[in-house]
Amino acid sequence: MRAMTLMSAVGGALLLAAQPALSEENAAEKAVDAAKQYSGITLNSAEEAGLMAMLGINITGPEWKELTGIGLNVTEIPFEELFPKQMLEHKAGSGAYDIMTIGPSWVADMVRNGALEPLDPFIEKYGVASEFDDIAPAFKDWMTYDGKTYALVVDGDVHLLYYRKDIFEDPENMEAFKAEYGYDLAPPQTWEQFGQICKFITDKYAPELYGAGLINTGYMHFFFSERLRTYGGKFFDPETMKATVNSQEAIDALTDMVDQLDCQPPGVQTWGFGESLSALSAGEIAMTISWPPIARWAQGINADEQALSWVPESTVVDKIGYALPPGGHPELASGIMLAVSPDSKNKDAAYLYIQWLHSKQESLKNVMRPLGLRDAFRISHYEAPEYQALWPTAPDYLATLRQAGEQGYSDLAILETYKYWDSMGRAVVAAIGGKDPKEALDDLAAEWDGLTEQIGVDRQKEAYLEWAQKPSAYRE
Amino acid sequence: MSGSASGRADDTRLFKYGLIAPATFVMVLVAVFPLIYLIVVSFQRISLSDDITSFSGLVNYARIFSDARLWDAVLHTLLITVIALPIELVLGMLLGYHFLPDRPFKRLLVALLIIPSVISPMVAGSMWRLMFDDRYGPINQIISWFAGERISILWTINIAWAYPAIIITDVWQWTPFMFIILMAALANVDQELLDAAAIDGASGWRTFLEVTLPAIRPVMMIALLIRGLDLIRLFDSVWQLTRGGPGSATETISIYAYIRGFQEFDTSYIAAVVVVLAILFSVGLVVVLKRMAIAR
Repeated sequence: MRAMTLMSAVGGALLLAAQPALSEENAAEKAVDAAKQYSGITLNSAEEAGLMAMLGINITGPEWKELTGIGLNVTEIPFEELFPKQMLEHKAGSGAYDIMTIGPSWVADMVRNGALEPLDPFIEKYGVASEFDDIAPAFKDWMTYDGKTYALVVDGDVHLLYYRKDIFEDPENMEAFKAEYGYDLAPPQTWEQFGQICKFITDKYAPELYGAGLINTGYMHFFFSERLRTYGGKFFDPETMKATVNSQEAIDALTDMVDQLDCQPPGVQTWGFGESLSALSAGEIAMTISWPPIARWAQGINADEQALSWVPESTVVDKIGYALPPGGHPELASGIMLAVSPDSKNKDAAYLYIQWLHSKQESLKNVMRPLGLRDAFRISHYEAPEYQALWPTAPDYLATLRQAGEQGYSDLAILETYKYWDSMGRAVVAAIGGKDPKEALDDLAAEWDGLTEQIGVDRQKEAYLEWAQKPSAYRE
Repeated sequence: MSGSASGRADDTRLFKYGLIAPATFVMVLVAVFPLIYLIVVSFQRISLSDDITSFSGLVNYARIFSDARLWDAVLHTLLITVIALPIELVLGMLLGYHFLPDRPFKRLLVALLIIPSVISPMVAGSMWRLMFDDRYGPINQIISWFAGERISILWTINIAWAYPAIIITDVWQWTPFMFIILMAALANVDQELLDAAAIDGASGWRTFLEVTLPAIRPVMMIALLIRGLDLIRLFDSVWQLTRGGPGSATETISIYAYIRGFQEFDTSYIAAVVVVLAILFSVGLVVVLKRMAIAR
């Protein structure tokens, strides 16, 4: 019944979102009108395998075909292979993809290799300026490199803390916690508080409920680089470009990360995104840190989506609260942008599809859907009445999401960032697997120094300083 | 007269060369050319994320000797090989002996036993990852039943358990290969020799050492060689189980080469690595073949 009500609400909201404001120029309509001249062709799109691609395959692709007569052929590629696969296709000049899926930290490398088509001429020709002004600054920043626009954002990722309001607001818990720790039981402001709250809840409720269940495998570079900066650590010494990922701040951050596994469920070391979501939805953990779709799924608005049938039925509907992770500066962890391949024979049509998806009108529909993993990236998304009405605490969710975007740390973006990420991910997982954190970080720093030497200290320094001067780099 | 005979001999020789020329050309094209190209690339500076592809001399080769991660990967590969291979040999031999005489449902059981060997290693790795999963997998549940309490072994994430997980998976999948080859070899041991040993009062163990083993030795060595080379190239199941982790603690040579070559685009460096390892392993293989005395 609840699912039906929610689905009706989603349906109504999508219908509302589909109505363009009459007085304003509409980027979606402009894209559709211009694209009709290319009717009959098929665009090839490289997309992240799974739910991301499902959106194009099941929804936006067929809609685009109906509106313009242009087909969409989606090739699904696992996230970790998106960058190498698309680069290889470009190097081979295959023209296999018209549309490419890219993450913010790949832009510098791809631009240097001529793997991205500059979009400014298309924006000038087809774009709507007012819609660009609507993009939240953190995500707008991703789209440009060296003053040129190379991609349009379609998914504004950022980490949030999800917590069980019923546990945190239980008067008995609040009283006992204050008596023990001397401050109010509330979403943790620091990682030290996170550890204390996690232990308090685990001590009281385990094994039925644990204080937290964090992601510990996959994308660990995002989680650790957020912690590292929250503890005051930095990636490099800006003078020498020596890696500082084994500084005392980094060691403290990783040591706490490992120590805090003790208050989490047995086996949490093997948890990825799915396990963490499962445990939250099943009411087995009181806190987790993850990407924005968790809120929609834990609220149960995926009930009728066949593609999401693997998501466990939520037992915590209306019980989940949203907050910034400890430290208050969540990682703007990857996000998704779409770009036009320079090897495409249908550049205009490819751009127009991307503009249509990126537009105010269409993107609002997509960030509200449970399917597709797309998350708010426009001011108008955060403020949309239809989104705010999607479930009772949606306004809290959207406000937290907006704040997270404004205060978040941007991903490190230097030359060949993926090599540094891979190295960091391995070091963190090794520490989680039992290696001494200091030893793991010393090895990491040595690997990073080796990489910097190979790439060229001066070239890398230039790239790093350009990234480090962004306010979102260290939030000092 | 002799001039004419010599002309015919030349024609015959040319005809022979003409006959093998297409095959030789194909061999050169598919085997020698890529090898030469690999060597050329190893002296360049090709990285798919960089457009500079100039000649770099011995830089890539010099890097190899200070690349601790590479040599760790070599050690990991050898470690898995020296543990998994004997286990597979012994289990395969025992199974071979067990199924040598006629038994009820022998054909059905043998057919079932060889199923793991026909499964894709990627699929086998994924399946075992699920089996070892702490939350949903049956392995920890079974151990917990026996222990009488919740046992949480982090098979794929804990350094101490990752190798047992890899070896269990490999042994499960490839023991049947050893079994089927050794059973065939055992079935072909001369029965008269076995009977003679029995008449002479030789024990079962002595008969195995003195009669059976020498008889099946060539086949057994070939089986060991094939599996040994497979293990040196081990990638799929380890990739699915641990992705080479935790950290790079279970990275094999193939996983290391994949990461460096196809995820990090260090094309020239990985070409140099392949050249060096190919030389090392070729020398090793020749030595092993000589010791095994099966070249003839």
